[in-house]
Amino acid sequence: MMRRIRTSTVLAGVLGAALWLTAADATMQQGGAAKPAGPTPRVADGKVDFSGMWVNTGGGGDIKPDESGNVTVLSRGRPCHPGQECKPAINFERDSGVRQRLAYGTNVPLYKPEYWAKVEYNDVNGNFVDPEINCYPDGLPRIGAPSKIVQTANELILLYASHNQFRVVRLDATQHDPIRSQDLTYFGDSITRWEGDTLVIESIGFTDESWLGWPGYLHSNNMRVVERVTRNGNQLTWQFEIHDPEVLMQPWTMTPLRRVLNANPKAMLIEDLPCEARDNKHIVTRERG
Amino acid sequence: MKLKSAFGILALVAIAMFSSSSAVAHHAIQAEYEMDQTKGFTGVMTRFAMINPHCRWFFEETKADGTKVVWEMSGAGPGALRASGLVRIFQIGQPYEVTFAPAKNGANVGRVRTMKGPDGKVITLFHEDPTNPLNN
Repeated sequence: MMRRIRTSTVLAGVLGAALWLTAADATMQQGGAAKPAGPTPRVADGKVDFSGMWVNTGGGGDIKPDESGNVTVLSRGRPCHPGQECKPAINFERDSGVRQRLAYGTNVPLYKPEYWAKVEYNDVNGNFVDPEINCYPDGLPRIGAPSKIVQTANELILLYASHNQFRVVRLDATQHDPIRSQDLTYFGDSITRWEGDTLVIESIGFTDESWLGWPGYLHSNNMRVVERVTRNGNQLTWQFEIHDPEVLMQPWTMTPLRRVLNANPKAMLIEDLPCEARDNKHIVTRERG
Repeated sequence: MKLKSAFGILALVAIAMFSSSSAVAHHAIQAEYEMDQTKGFTGVMTRFAMINPHCRWFFEETKADGTKVVWEMSGAGPGALRASGLVRIFQIGQPYEVTFAPAKNGANVGRVRTMKGPDGKVITLFHEDPTNPLNN
């Protein structure tokens, strides 16, 4: 019997709000409905040039002191559709939890039955076992699309704002390195090929200590990640396909991530600051958010 | 160490609080704190740490009998403070009146609601409406 892993902690009473939040997240994830602008730049050999700062949509940072100099920072907890009046969250943290758990919609990994209990355990106990909350790197694919790409004649240098991480993908690597492909890392060892204007990056050699996503989606250290990267003018699309027959019933093609070029030539990556897992020793309940 | 005020240079950069993965890894806040309670103390700020996933403020409170109590306050992530120009306004070595939601496990830890510094200005760091328990 096949069934998709479902979390057991989502309450029916919040389903409507959850679907709304999911839709809002999907909009954010896909970078909105804006049409691509400008030509697609190419390097000397005619291949697509992915270089640039790539940003997601978002808001925040909207404060100013009052006449007495007092400062109030009240985080907006609920994303809004464009043009929609953004009402305050009913409960910021619980909204956040619902949004993250259901952000995948119906597109979730299909696990072999012997892994159902482990995934559910990860989800229920995420406050304590989520690698991210313990300040471990996200790894692929959870880290998502890079914040900045520097493309040279034979390399893509991918810079991630999260944890100040970098990754180097060789554009002339057609076979895995025999040593690195057997390593246990968060980004793996990558080879590349072009399918038309789509750059395909295949990576193996992963640790099994990272997750595919927030709801406890585990993977094995034999996972193979296929990334398909396309650029259309000022828009970037990054898609992950997860091949892990050890734990998955079938490959999982994740919802594509869309990013928009930051056209400001002076835009800089902001340094991420150290992560300290100081909350863990004080968390009492399993409620995630 | 005295950190200069940044009120005059509020660069309201549109950095989403949820744009970094560090910011979305949070546990539910009510898993750690009693969000329907508010407690307070007055103590000297001993350290301000811009760390993920939550910035931290450390205080030393001196009780009436002379005993010292160390407090650790948690708040928004570094990105949110940066976006709001709140990085350099905290004055180490100065007294602050602090209100907070206390830790469920009874430790001297809390989720900060407000901090009133030596200049009398109140810094509120919370979600939506800090007076509405449903907005915790």
